[in-house]
Amino acid sequence: MAPLRTLRRFWRGLCTNWLGTTGVVLTTTAFILFLLAELLRMAGIVTNAYVGLITYLALPLLFVLGLLFVPLGWWLHRRRTGKSTRELLSERFEAELVASSPAGSRVVRTIITLTLVNVVFLGFGGARMLGFMDQPHFCGTACHSVMNPEWVTYQSSPHARVRCVDCHVGQGARAAFDAKLNGAWQMISVTFDLHERPIPTPVHNLRPARETCERCHWPQAFYGDRIRRIVRHAADEASTPRYTTLSLKVGSGSGRRRGEIHWHVAGHNQVRYQATDRSRMAMRWVEVRQPDGSYRRYSNRRAPPGAAPPPDVRVLDCVDCHNRATHIYEDPEDAADRLVAIGAIDRGLPFARRQALAALTGSYRAGTGPRAVDLDFRGHYRRHHPDAITKRGRQIDRAVRSLQDVYRRNIHSGMNITWNAYPDHIGHRRGPGCRRCHSPDMVDGTGRPVSSECTLCHSMLAYDSAAPFQFLQPPDPADRECEMGLFLRREFLGASIPGNPCKATRPKNEQEWSSRGGEAKVGSEHR
Amino acid sequence: MRRCVAASLLLLAPLVVVGDQTPVAGRCMTCHKDKTPGLYRQWYLSEHAKHEVTCLDCHGAQKGDRDGFRHEGALVATLVTPKDCGKCHANQFKEVDRSYHATAGQILESADAYLAHAPGGEPVAIPGCESCHGGKVRLDPKAPNRLDHKSWPNSGIGRINPDGSKGSCTACHSRHQFSLGQARRPEACGKCHLGPDHPQKEVYEESKHGNAFFTHVPQMNLDADRWVAGVDYAAAPTCATCHMSASPQQKVTHDVGQRISWTLRPPVSKMKPDWQRKRQSMKGVCAACHGGRFVDGHYYQMDGLVQLYNRKFAEPAGKIMAMVRQRGLLKNKAEFSNKIEWIYWELWHHEGRRARHGAAMMGPDYTWWHGIYEVAQHFYFKFLPAARHHSDPEVNKLIDQVLADPMHAWMQRPTDEIKRDVRSGKLQQLYKDFYKPLAR
Repeated sequence: MAPLRTLRRFWRGLCTNWLGTTGVVLTTTAFILFLLAELLRMAGIVTNAYVGLITYLALPLLFVLGLLFVPLGWWLHRRRTGKSTRELLSERFEAELVASSPAGSRVVRTIITLTLVNVVFLGFGGARMLGFMDQPHFCGTACHSVMNPEWVTYQSSPHARVRCVDCHVGQGARAAFDAKLNGAWQMISVTFDLHERPIPTPVHNLRPARETCERCHWPQAFYGDRIRRIVRHAADEASTPRYTTLSLKVGSGSGRRRGEIHWHVAGHNQVRYQATDRSRMAMRWVEVRQPDGSYRRYSNRRAPPGAAPPPDVRVLDCVDCHNRATHIYEDPEDAADRLVAIGAIDRGLPFARRQALAALTGSYRAGTGPRAVDLDFRGHYRRHHPDAITKRGRQIDRAVRSLQDVYRRNIHSGMNITWNAYPDHIGHRRGPGCRRCHSPDMVDGTGRPVSSECTLCHSMLAYDSAAPFQFLQPPDPADRECEMGLFLRREFLGASIPGNPCKATRPKNEQEWSSRGGEAKVGSEHR
Repeated sequence: MRRCVAASLLLLAPLVVVGDQTPVAGRCMTCHKDKTPGLYRQWYLSEHAKHEVTCLDCHGAQKGDRDGFRHEGALVATLVTPKDCGKCHANQFKEVDRSYHATAGQILESADAYLAHAPGGEPVAIPGCESCHGGKVRLDPKAPNRLDHKSWPNSGIGRINPDGSKGSCTACHSRHQFSLGQARRPEACGKCHLGPDHPQKEVYEESKHGNAFFTHVPQMNLDADRWVAGVDYAAAPTCATCHMSASPQQKVTHDVGQRISWTLRPPVSKMKPDWQRKRQSMKGVCAACHGGRFVDGHYYQMDGLVQLYNRKFAEPAGKIMAMVRQRGLLKNKAEFSNKIEWIYWELWHHEGRRARHGAAMMGPDYTWWHGIYEVAQHFYFKFLPAARHHSDPEVNKLIDQVLADPMHAWMQRPTDEIKRDVRSGKLQQLYKDFYKPLAR
């Protein structure tokens, strides 16, 4: 027990005045509390991110503060008494503690030991702090009110198992430093409520996508086509499905071969642009690197009046198109169609899709949404289809639960996030997307526009059709969209259909049409 | 060797067929279904779609067409002219081409165009006048679709097209559904035939015909392929029924004007050339629903009104105006730079037409309150005072002569006496000759 007694006498010796006493108390308390909190966290008893913030930020800070107070108190004490350090040491510590020995006095040895403990503690605490801050749980819940929408959508995204910091911080000390600096500002803006609602996009200080995304997704990895089937349902009683099936040309092409989507980032290809403003919703111009290293520029002949000064020139990368690769907000129509397609909403319920969409998009008071979705959806069936309530009660329950999930995931009234608060640039359905550049308005010096033809990026195997692979069938002259089927079939399969079978049965003129009978039998003179 | 080459060519022959890449409209449809979904949907619901009449059948351009341009691999033109429609609808094209409608774009020398350009200005002439009348289509080689903004959009009925054809079928058969029903409804004509100077739409709405139409729209069978008055529908006639469509005695015609016997447009109405045949044609349509005496009675009343306007107001006003001009009394040189010219213009071009159209299409309020009532008021209390204002002895003498006419002499007589003459029928005797159509 001698070392403990020595320690106690050492501490007492340090309590020269109120500052020294505060220092000793702060340091000791912070140390003990840290150990306690760490034990509780390790035991899994406390997981709260706010407690983590206190443990890893506040306590080490207090600990260091206390350590600074002790020498400061000593210095003040020395100045006030006007005595030398040796005199003070003799006065504050018992003779045996300051008695010199070959390995130094006991005071010096205690100081060295405690300094070592401090270094180890601070090193451990710092490492734990960084480790804790790298956890998605910290990012998602520490600033709960602001981050919750992103946290919720992240958890149900394809990147749910990729940590936030892997994309948002990136690799290396510099990246970590930048991120912490930026984080410090974010803490201030949250504390003093200085941020916008919703948080504006795009995020301008993301790490370069080629540095982060390409650790897993590198352009050479994209080849071939990818089939994507989109099911929509009509607003009719049976919620009849209609199919659009795309064969997406996601390949990275080779060299200057275009027409494959990842060509934009493949090999030595480089596309750069200047947007009209920071939202990057419209382009002022876009350039493509030519084989000789020069750039061919396409300018927007209808560029809206942009911000002044205009935003920086950017080299197109992953996030210009995949701007919602992770924090994916669903469009209400997409959500309703998806739920019907996977059977979460039973098509046997009359007008199921129409009512699902109506329930999702109702205008509800903040905080009442999920309950209101239930009332709206169930209320419709109670009023108009009471049979369904009795016969399909379970399906209605399941539909309501699914709709409420969708609503909770997508609507965050605290951050003013309602349906489609953010554009999605993948494709061109829920934002301008590809068409920011692939537009007839983006023309080169000779007035020639960038191609915006539909089959440039995807073949179409069905287009709002009754069957998922409608256009793989031979075109039917009785179908009004026969020629579209013919073109798309040719495009996908290669030119294997000679002539135009769609026009085969068409009358050549009105006389012929009239002479064919049917409704035209009366003759054109009487129409 | 030759055999070898020949054999190779034969083997290659199927590839030529396989590689057949005749532009098909499917390419247009694929993109436009997404980019212009409304347009696509209209087409999809049209009879054209039903019969595989697709984009390039109408929009396909020929090499050398001045408005043609290359678009996604095809040579196309935005502008579709009656000549293009005429490739299939040959009769309709011929009828439209010789119709009065087709000449509506040639108005640049008319008083209307002068008014629009001088007191108004070009920016009103394009969306105001040319939207109905049609203008000369100007080309702009630099524009993506080769059409100058000053002439596109324009679906005026007398548009002067770069291919020499006149008119625009879409004036009545709107793009891209080209609905029969739409063209048969009064609203189709009402886009242009309305307003203070020719309120045909308003007169129709006031008339029993319009009243019956709007009451019985569902019974009108408007989208039927065959649409014969009295056979396929009987609830009411629309503008198209009387002026264009078939009746048991009539064929349909796109040469609008073939059933009109009076021209009610000019300052003084005249019978049109070949008016007896034209009137007989119109009577043929009336006969689908009305008896002969009824129809004759209508024309008797209409002829009376038109000649009342002509002889009591239009002719004297015209003479006075001519004399004012002839004697150089107008202070300002340019046409319409003197107040009396505006008064005279409105007398015939606005009020005068309203009265005549009201009588022609059975709109009582337009015949009297918006019509002759205003003609009379403006004649007596605006036009004559404006003419007398010049204090020219010759003009004053002419005005005195006009007012001495028994039709105008009422102004100098006691009211009781006039009322007695009305009751006795003596005053009506003044107009007894007005009920016969004018011999040309």
